[in-house]
Amino acid sequence: MTAADTVRTIAPAAQVRDAVKVYGSGDTEVRALDGVTVDFPAGRFTAIMGPSGSGKSTLMHCVAGLDTLTSGSAYIGDTELGTLGDRQLTLLRRERIGFVFQSFNLVPTLTVAENITLPLDLAGTRPEPGLIDELIDVIGLRDRLRHRPSQLSGGQQQRVAVARALAGRPDVVFADEPTGNLDSRSGAEVLELLGDAAHGMGRTVVMVTHDPVAASHADEVLFLADGRLVDRMERPTADRVLDRMKEFDGPSRQEARS
Amino acid sequence: MMAINGGRASLRLSVASLRAHRRRFAGTFLAVLLGVSFLAGTMMMGDTLRASFNTLFANAGGGRDAVVRSSDVISVSGKGQGVRQPVDATLVRQIQKVPGVAAAAPDIEGAGQLIGKDGQPIGGKGPPTIAGNWIADSKLNPYQIAQGHAPQAPGQVVVSRGTATRGNLRIGDTTVLRTPDPVRVTIVGLATFGGQDGMAQATYTGMTLGDAEKYLMPRPGDASSIPVRADSGVSQRQLVDRIAPVLPKGVEVITGERATAESQRDVSGQFLSLFTTLLLVFAGIALLVATFSIHNTFAIVLAQRTRDNALLRALGASRRQVLGSTLVEALAVAVIASTAGLFGGMGIAAGLQALFPAVGFPFPSGNLVISTTSLVLPLAVGVLVCVGSALLPAVRAGRTAPLAALRETAVDESGTSRLRAVAGVSGIAAGVALTALGASGTPSVLVTAAGAALTAAAFIVLGPVAAGYAIRVLGAPLARLRGVTGALARRNALRGAKRTAATATALMIGVAVVTLFTVFGASLKATLNQTVSRSFAGDVAVSAPAFGAGGSGLSPKLAPALAKLPQVNTAVGLGKGVARVDGAGRQLTVADPGALGRVLDLGKVDGSLNGLGTQAIAVSSGQAAKHRWRVGSTTTLRFTDGSAQRFTVGAVYQQGDLAGDYVIARQAWEPHRTQDTDTLVAVSFRPGVSAADGKAAVEHTAASYGNPTVQTRAEYAKSSASGINTMLTLVYALLALAVVIALLGITNTLTLAVYERTRELGLLRAVGQTRAQLRAMVRWESVLVAAFGTVGGLGLGAFLGWALVRAADATGATAFAIPPVQLVVVLLVGLVAGVVAGLRPARRAARLDVLRAVATE
Repeated sequence: MTAADTVRTIAPAAQVRDAVKVYGSGDTEVRALDGVTVDFPAGRFTAIMGPSGSGKSTLMHCVAGLDTLTSGSAYIGDTELGTLGDRQLTLLRRERIGFVFQSFNLVPTLTVAENITLPLDLAGTRPEPGLIDELIDVIGLRDRLRHRPSQLSGGQQQRVAVARALAGRPDVVFADEPTGNLDSRSGAEVLELLGDAAHGMGRTVVMVTHDPVAASHADEVLFLADGRLVDRMERPTADRVLDRMKEFDGPSRQEARS
Repeated sequence: MMAINGGRASLRLSVASLRAHRRRFAGTFLAVLLGVSFLAGTMMMGDTLRASFNTLFANAGGGRDAVVRSSDVISVSGKGQGVRQPVDATLVRQIQKVPGVAAAAPDIEGAGQLIGKDGQPIGGKGPPTIAGNWIADSKLNPYQIAQGHAPQAPGQVVVSRGTATRGNLRIGDTTVLRTPDPVRVTIVGLATFGGQDGMAQATYTGMTLGDAEKYLMPRPGDASSIPVRADSGVSQRQLVDRIAPVLPKGVEVITGERATAESQRDVSGQFLSLFTTLLLVFAGIALLVATFSIHNTFAIVLAQRTRDNALLRALGASRRQVLGSTLVEALAVAVIASTAGLFGGMGIAAGLQALFPAVGFPFPSGNLVISTTSLVLPLAVGVLVCVGSALLPAVRAGRTAPLAALRETAVDESGTSRLRAVAGVSGIAAGVALTALGASGTPSVLVTAAGAALTAAAFIVLGPVAAGYAIRVLGAPLARLRGVTGALARRNALRGAKRTAATATALMIGVAVVTLFTVFGASLKATLNQTVSRSFAGDVAVSAPAFGAGGSGLSPKLAPALAKLPQVNTAVGLGKGVARVDGAGRQLTVADPGALGRVLDLGKVDGSLNGLGTQAIAVSSGQAAKHRWRVGSTTTLRFTDGSAQRFTVGAVYQQGDLAGDYVIARQAWEPHRTQDTDTLVAVSFRPGVSAADGKAAVEHTAASYGNPTVQTRAEYAKSSASGINTMLTLVYALLALAVVIALLGITNTLTLAVYERTRELGLLRAVGQTRAQLRAMVRWESVLVAAFGTVGGLGLGAFLGWALVRAADATGATAFAIPPVQLVVVLLVGLVAGVVAGLRPARRAARLDVLRAVATE
């Protein structure tokens, strides 16, 4: 944990400043993000939590260059995303960002090995020597390289997705509910991989989750509610996160959650 | 709700589903629309043409109450209307004495080709070039003076207004009429036919009776027929009954109505039927292609909807309700599209009516005529094709298990069964064997056709099995050249072998037909070329327009004139005649048999061609074998004038390519001749005369005989085949629609696939696929599918072409040629078409919102 403290002084790998995201207009207007400013320090594993509709997914999408802010700014390193066109955003995602989604992470027509190197192949670049081998060992699927995603279990698929996200040595790995569809054991394996990515390989990891146990694997948890950053928690445990989350569940909110 | 009123519920589901999936049925809609439009347009155009021609002939022949003509007609199979011997014009006087006859006049009809202002002959490339005497009685003459006056002195002529326009000729102009001897004529009047500028594309020149007898008839005092007009109150039937007794043997009288009906039948039966049948065949091909496209669309859409249907079943909808709602949906698309197609057809027919005169084909004016059949049949075919195509997928949809609602969206990516592979392979093996059997030895068209049909069917059955292998092979270079984009395109095309095959099958059929015609056309050209090079032993050929009838041929005086040139060794004119041999009409070649062997290679000759005289003929070995003749046998030739003469077979020759099956000496034909023309003059030069000098000399002399074409051997061989190019161009134009429908099918399948793969595409975009890469991926998939269809079509088409050439070849003289350049062009067109077909789906895929795709649950 001391390592985390020293890293904090380094410039953030990603950040948003006064981020506002508005969907719709007039009566149907929804302010998904309502002035969020947050840093994601390099080499740290940060979890974003919050009740449904709190804006946690929107925040991640906007920082990851999948969505654009209505106002405010988002940065990956020094690059301001608002100034980039679709092609530049695509290249940025390909070269500097890794993704792990909740489900449907892998291209069904490609083998495990091809899925891992997909972003590199799309860029037409060669992977760093040894890195892919190392990742394959880490996810423990060396005997499955020529298999198709449909031949893997859900947990295995997510592990392949993590390897894919790390294959290009991205600045930031974004994980959107990566354990949402997994049993607790498979989920733990994926979370350990993400933790290793941050602490072992020095990657920056940002994970959106609603699972306190998953969040407890992170170095820090950010709490969002109604599009605002309402709290942060260093060195979380599952119990503390759960307690904090319960505070959001007022009687009115209970109904709003589906 | 479903249990209360099943039928209503089904209907409501169909309507809701149609509304929701409008865009997905756009391709189906277009395919049905285009196919039905083509079919309906063709039929309506046929209706309109037929009605116009009928009115035309009825108007033109309206004043003729009876027609007297020679009763015997000799027709050679496949050579048009047949030849009738002239009647004696002096009969006119006897007929005029018959009570009830108001007027009768000799009518002379022959061939005469006018030279236009630019020195080029007018018409003569198919439709007849008619010349005749101008009949003074305006009710007996189908032509009416529209401007100027009737011919009164020798050399004066009336021409139909259409002819004058085409030749840029005016009243007062002097020009040449080839009868085939060139005659200087002055135009003194312009005429109309039944109110139109002319009779379809035929040209007409009316001369004085004296001129017509002199130039168009073998003897003065002959007439082609004698039209008769009745006094008022005398019916056509009565008139015929009164005239018949005064006629000599061999001359008959028919009513005017029957004469008109015969003219109508000649035009409708020959020209129109051929034309509309041809168009209908291609409309059929377009609809067949559409069937595959439509079936495929329904199969995909219903597979995508498995979950919805399963949910319905889980909620209590019966199988029949799901099936019903699907079929109602198909029916709705079918009816709307087919109805729209009928309007499209009217548009096509009206468009052609406007277009034809612009390209020099006078489509008789008049309103669009649409028979009930032309409305009902296309509508029925459109609905049948559409609903029929949807039937299997609909039955499958009805069988959806309620449990499928709980599974992941099931997209049909099922592989191919072993049974299919076995059936396909053995089908092709049997088909090819059968075709080969039918084509070898003495060809049997029936066996060959059965084999070809079996092969084509087996190709379609084997499609899904072959698709896997073919796409793997065809796509291999793609993955290497285009990296992961190419690899993804290849894998995508491989995902649903059945779907890829079904999509490609439509294109395969289109390309197969294109290839079939290309190969067949090339083989015909090669055959003609080979025939001419083998049989034409002369140095230059002077010929009348090479393809089809029409024109007036060459003057029989040309050959003797050319023979007198110092450069020329031999010049032989080949004329045509007909006679009945053993009861069947046969074409005779009229020539100087002795000289013939010096300009044509007749192969091995038994007996002697010299001195056939008026007592002997020469026959090809083929005919000799058929009739069991040898040199010295005798046979009877019955001529159109009713006379019969016994001839000895004086010679039997091997090669009848240019000489025909029967050669008769000019002096033997002379007594039985009609209008005398040659179709070819074959010329050989004296030794030491250069080709250029000789040709120039021949051209110089020929110029005064109406300026016919003079060609060297090679040029003659080439031009003999040029008509085939015209035919091929027409066929390609007609097949374009089938190919367009096939491409619509590819576009449609890909659009549906893009919809299906929304999440996957979103993922690819999220992890760094650029829009350009995504577009390229979809486009390459399209190209791969198109390449599979094109290559399959080329293979199948080439094979069917080979079968057709062999089956049509009774004599063993037909060459089989694969034109590599044309086939490469077909392949390239197929690939480019694939790119075009992929454009829209690629654009749609690229527009995809990444976030929504990723976030879709």
